[in-house]
Amino acid sequence: MRILIVEDEKSLAEEIVQFLRNEQYNCDIAFNGRDASEMLAVNLYDFVLLDIGLPDYNGLDLIREAKQYNSEAYFIVITARGELDDKLKGFNSGADDYLAKPFSILELHSRLQAITRRKFGQSSSIIRFGNFALDITKLQLLHQATTVNLTKKEYDLLSYLILNKGRVLDRLQLVEHIWGSFYEDDFDSNYIDVHIKNIRKKLSEFDQANYIKTVRGLGYKFEDV
Amino acid sequence: MFINRIKLKNKISIINALSKVLIIAISVFIIPWIVNQMSIRDLDQQLIDNLDKTYALVEQYGIDEFIKQGGDQQAYGSYNIFKEEYISIEKVTDTSLFEEIDYSKRSIEGETFEYRVISATFESGGSYYLIEIGKSINTIIAFQKQVKKFTFYFLLVLLGITILFELAITQYLLRPFGKIIERLKASNHPKNFDYTPVKTTSSDFKDLEENIHGLMRKIESAFNEERDYISNISHELLTPISIIRTKLDNFVNTTQLTDDEMVKIIESKVTLGRITKMVRTLLLLSRIDNEEYLLADKVNLNELLTGLGTDFQEHFEQKNQKFELSLPDQPAEVQGNRELLHILFFNLANNAIKYTPDGGKISIRLFREEGIPLAEIVDNGIGIEEENLPFIFTRFKKFQESGNNFGLGLALVKKIVDYQNFSIEVFSKPGEGSRFVIRCN
Repeated sequence: MRILIVEDEKSLAEEIVQFLRNEQYNCDIAFNGRDASEMLAVNLYDFVLLDIGLPDYNGLDLIREAKQYNSEAYFIVITARGELDDKLKGFNSGADDYLAKPFSILELHSRLQAITRRKFGQSSSIIRFGNFALDITKLQLLHQATTVNLTKKEYDLLSYLILNKGRVLDRLQLVEHIWGSFYEDDFDSNYIDVHIKNIRKKLSEFDQANYIKTVRGLGYKFEDV
Repeated sequence: MFINRIKLKNKISIINALSKVLIIAISVFIIPWIVNQMSIRDLDQQLIDNLDKTYALVEQYGIDEFIKQGGDQQAYGSYNIFKEEYISIEKVTDTSLFEEIDYSKRSIEGETFEYRVISATFESGGSYYLIEIGKSINTIIAFQKQVKKFTFYFLLVLLGITILFELAITQYLLRPFGKIIERLKASNHPKNFDYTPVKTTSSDFKDLEENIHGLMRKIESAFNEERDYISNISHELLTPISIIRTKLDNFVNTTQLTDDEMVKIIESKVTLGRITKMVRTLLLLSRIDNEEYLLADKVNLNELLTGLGTDFQEHFEQKNQKFELSLPDQPAEVQGNRELLHILFFNLANNAIKYTPDGGKISIRLFREEGIPLAEIVDNGIGIEEENLPFIFTRFKKFQESGNNFGLGLALVKKIVDYQNFSIEVFSKPGEGSRFVIRCN
């Protein structure tokens, strides 16, 4: 997977790159729109992570331009404006996804994974654990042939935990993932616990194994037993 | 006080009218009095002339012409036919000489006449005589009455005409002033102020208008600056927050940490989350001020509120709160911005949940009143102190005594309500709960 990170804030770009390289992504960085434009014309990328607020370039123009050379690339737009209107603008201009600053790199990671899996077809888009199969294309969980009846939020939470398998996800990250909203301020709330409890209950109807571990005081972690 | 509520033009008219009434009142008494004084003075002169004429006659013909010496008649008297004048001469024993003019009443043949009388004594042929010449002042009294009446009616008519005239003139002259006030009243925000010059020929109104325009422009630019400032600073803050956030995430990912260390980092992230939320809300507020949101969506409130109920399901479960949603059969649709309307009701519902203890009850009711959709969010939570009610929509208003912090949530609610041209009312009693009613007109 080759990713181009276009971010004028060096420190932020470097942090993202450090994380993604750890995850075995192949990363290039452009600190301005002009460099990015050149790199997009020369190289082929699977993902482009683009900060829309570049000092020297209109980010939306850059996407339009890049689509000519990198029509297969997924464009994830980062913005500090954090609004739906921008999001729509982004989608019209060819952006595939959108992250508002500040975002969690685990959120970015799970989105990259989901897109990657979808991109590489049916087999990759199904994640198996025990006798369960999570289909991230169809957004459903199956136990053998039976559909596990999850609500949208329960599905979102479970898939997020699964895509970040083995990592502790704190409540803040989980709340942000399912609410995605900036007007929710109860980060330390226990609302997440209700969902986890419900997910566990639904899974246990099929399988007694404890897939979702509680890490006391921290959050939750998915582990394939 | 009532006087404080009267318009300037009416005050001017009232003062004008009062001063005129005063002038009339004075004139009605003063003018006849002056006329009277002048008439009396004229009369007195006539009496003196007549007395002189009589002296001349006595001189010329002797006193015998009037009073026969040694005869029975010791006095002479004569009235003219209408009793307007009389003259009397009589012999007196008093030898002092005097001359005076005074009023005197005479009853003649059952009729009372008031006279102005000149009395004098003179000496003729060794004897002393008292002479009196009187002229009736009834005509003068009648004339005075007439003058009084005429003056009164004349001034009354004059008063009416001038009041009407002045009313029209002040109305005309003060019209620009009224217009300036109207414009100030009509603009709820400097950016809506009508800057077209008001037609006036009065320089003070021109000055007033120019000064108001100057002030308005200053306020408007201060508003704009503040808005841009908030927008820029919010925007600029999000990148550094993002850097810290990513660094913390990376640190957790790449370092073996004890649980205690992890907890500390998570706590930092929660704090960072709070800052983020605040900055984003400020950004949102300034974007609404900038009118960056289109009010172009047809939003089905039935759907929006149903969705909200579902979204909050785990909140209600977590706090064991009872939730009731009552919707009209005919879906209520409003014109507006879907995103903003969602934030509006989200914040109100979120507050209701937050400020209602476990086991409480929250209800959302959507209904129509005269065709206008009304949404009501009711809880039986802690409520709001009456003295705090006027400030709940103010940004960052903190209430020490109750420990509540209204922060930005309700400020955002109010901002959206205003932007949507809706109205909001709050009813609350401490310990009993709160009721927010939004009128979506």
